[in-house]
Order: sequence, then C-alpha cells, then structure tokens
Amino acid sequence: MRPRPFNLLAIVCTVCVVLVVLLAFHSAGPVNAPYATYVERPVEETGATNRVASIYLNYRLYDSLLEILVFFVAVLGVRFYLGVRERPDVPPLAESEVVRTSAALLFPIAVLLGVYLAALGQISPGGGFGAGVIAASGLLLTSIALGIDAIDRRIQRNAIERIERGALVVLLLLVLLPLPLGHPAFTDLLPKGSPGMVLSGGSIPLYNVLIALKVVTGSWLILRSFVRHRGEI
Amino acid sequence: MAFSVGVVLFGIGLVAIAIRRDLVIKLLALGLTNAGSILCLVAVGDRPDARVPICAVCRDVIYADPLPQAVVLSAIVINFAILALALVFVMRLVEQYHSTDSRHIEDLVQRELDEGGDQ
Repeated sequence: MRPRPFNLLAIVCTVCVVLVVLLAFHSAGPVNAPYATYVERPVEETGATNRVASIYLNYRLYDSLLEILVFFVAVLGVRFYLGVRERPDVPPLAESEVVRTSAALLFPIAVLLGVYLAALGQISPGGGFGAGVIAASGLLLTSIALGIDAIDRRIQRNAIERIERGALVVLLLLVLLPLPLGHPAFTDLLPKGSPGMVLSGGSIPLYNVLIALKVVTGSWLILRSFVRHRGEI
Repeated sequence: MAFSVGVVLFGIGLVAIAIRRDLVIKLLALGLTNAGSILCLVAVGDRPDARVPICAVCRDVIYADPLPQAVVLSAIVINFAILALALVFVMRLVEQYHSTDSRHIEDLVQRELDEGGDQ
C-alpha cells in the first residue's frame, strides 16, 4: 500500500493527539483530578444505592433519554435501509442437535437474567441497557437454533414494533409528566422508598424496565432486519 | 496504565480508520476506538483501592467515581447504534459496487458523476 500525503498527515496528527493526551493525563494524575461529588451525596436524594443508576436515571436522566433517542434513530435507519425488500426464502436451520438443545436450555436463563438485572438495577450492578442486550442475545441464540421463522411465528412482529415505540412514548411521557403538575421536567415524583429494598429509588426501576423493553425489542428488530436481508444467519 | 493503554488503542483505531481501505476493517477499527475510549473512562473513574460505588452511606471508604461509569453506558449503546447503521451503509455500497475498497468505490462514484455530467 502506498501512503498518500493525507494518510501521513492523519497518522502524524493522531500520534500527536495521543501523546498530548497522555502527557496531560500523566502531569495531572488521576488522583489529583476533581473528585465527582455524586458518590458523596446522601442516598435519600434518589433512593438508589447503586450510584451509577442514580446518576444515569436521576441526576442525568436527560443523557439517558437522548441516548435512547439515538438508539431509536439507529433502529429506524437500519429498518429503513434494509427493510425495503425482504427475501422470501427461509433461512437455513442449524443442523446441529447440540446447538438446538443448548439454545433451548439457555434461552430461559437469558430472559430470566435480563428481568433480574432490569428489576434490581437500583440496588445491584446492572440496569436496563445490559438487561435488554442479554435478553436480545437469548433471542438471537434461539433464532440460530430454530430459525427466524420460528420466532416470527411465536411473537408477532407488529407487537414487537408496538412495544418498541410504546416504551419510548411512555418514557417521554414519564419525563414530561411533572410539567403539568408544576414541577420541572425530569423530576422524580414517585416515593423514594427505603434504600436497599427492591421497591426503592423512585422511578428508577420503572425506567430500567422500560429501557430494557426498548433495548430488547430494538436489538431484535436490528438483528431480524440483518438476517432477513441476508437470507441466513 | 489502563488509561495509557486506552489512549494507545484509540490511536491505533484512528490510524486504521484513516489508512486502511477496506470498509469492514474501518468499522472494526471504529469499534477499537470505542473500546479504547471506554477503557479510558473506566480508568479515569478508578481510585487506588477503590470499591464498587453501591452503598447507602458512601463515606470513610474510597469508592470508584460513578460518573465515568454512567458515561460508559452511553458510549456502549451509541457504539452499537453507530456500528449497526454503518454496517447497513457498507452493505448497500457492496450491493451496488461489489467492492469493500473505499478508494475503488470512490473512483466508481467519480466515474458515474463524470458520465452524468457529460449527458
């Protein structure tokens, strides 16, 4: 490969940026950096002992909302560009009995783990995004083993699309609900509960479950579009 | 240490995006830059002997900074979204031009534009 002048320039710029960042980081040091005060705030503010969840679903809920909107736009884009013509032929099934049996074994575990992570995201590691991806990977495993038609026959695609859009609409409504009640938007109106219990953290469990629904349906729609377009997994 | 590795990974990915001509490898490199930035964020939030920031009263013990970890969530989701969308565009390009070579595709597009201008 012969490098063009632009390539050399790009390499030199990248190396310079990397060196500058490294030097700046080592001169300041991570210990001397300003310590974020979120972890020192009283737990009663959000009710969630998981401070990461209390940040991305309470203090900085707008961040997560925009993130979900980006994800929604990606799902729309994938389906817009891939969904134009779907191949009518059925994707070939996996021949292996091992794959089929292990998929049947692992699918309930994946779904259960997803529900657990989404429901307990306020008191333990986890949260809606990870839970959704885990449940979607269970769906992907099943579609590898049984074929995508088997899943399409069991779960109506319209229902999945409705859940995907419905979760987003409910999220937006929940975020804007405090406005007519006389509070600023993004205010958490639900009772905080006692920290450490399952029903604590105000709206955080609700948001986690909605985000998990949104992510599992969105990921599944993306995967399904790719499989349908390509004709095989 | 982890921060430096993250920055170097980011740099390798960026260089690969710039100089590799294969579109799929460009996407893989984009994933590498994302992994590097995530590693940087996690390293920034770390403290010596830090514990997991899940606690009712977070005093007396050093806890990892939860703010960069919350940002990592956004980074992962947006990386997934961007990669999926970019892969779709690569698939469309491959279907139309039967090549994943970015320079070859550019030449083909340029030829199409020139032919369109002549008419």
